[in-house]
Amino acid sequence: MDVDTLDHTALPTLLDALEAYAEAQELPMKAASRLVLLADELAANVVMHAQGASFFAVDVSRGPDAVTFTLTDDGPEYDPLGRGEANTNASLEERTLGGLGVHFIEKLASSAHWRREDGHNILTITLDAAAE
Amino acid sequence: MQITSSQSGALNVATLEGRLDTATAAEAEATLISMLAAPGLVLDMAQVRYVSSAGLRVLLKLAKEARTKGAAYSLVGLQPAVREVFEVSGFDKIIPSYATLAEAVAA
Repeated sequence: MDVDTLDHTALPTLLDALEAYAEAQELPMKAASRLVLLADELAANVVMHAQGASFFAVDVSRGPDAVTFTLTDDGPEYDPLGRGEANTNASLEERTLGGLGVHFIEKLASSAHWRREDGHNILTITLDAAAE
Repeated sequence: MQITSSQSGALNVATLEGRLDTATAAEAEATLISMLAAPGLVLDMAQVRYVSSAGLRVLLKLAKEARTKGAAYSLVGLQPAVREVFEVSGFDKIIPSYATLAEAVAA
């Protein structure tokens, strides 16, 4: 799906569409949850941080063992996979939320790949379709 | 996201329903902060099917606020998919959670 209005409706629209997709595909619970969470986190980064981005697009496809989604945006060049890891062992006082999106990718995705093409960031994430 | 309030003994109980995400986080935060007072607040999460990092931000803020107010604070009934988000993000180490309200109240 293409989202051309990067305002506060963009993410709920995306989440609704992904939940509907997961249900239609009868994805098991964790696979569905991971799909929605990762797409949400990464699209939120575009909406909040990609200066001058005018759209993002999410494409989802399904194989027997894997669900793959691709997030494309026209913001400035940015590779989310090049960032450092969140500190999940910090105490309550120290804890902040930086880097969680990437952390979630590392823990929940089977694979992740980023490339820059024709002024677009293209991030491809593969998830285990059988995760329950 | 819907939030209803009730009591269990001396504790406030906030029962949440729906998604705790970017769109619902700000309003949820305002409501929950107003419900947070000593001796404490329990969040019943059994009807919450999804929490994103925006939702985690609210839960973290409440935890810090609870500490400041000297109030107990815990979560109850995390759905398995939501529990996974908690464990992957390390939040299970800083916010107490229980399977049932009875356990939370007894803690």
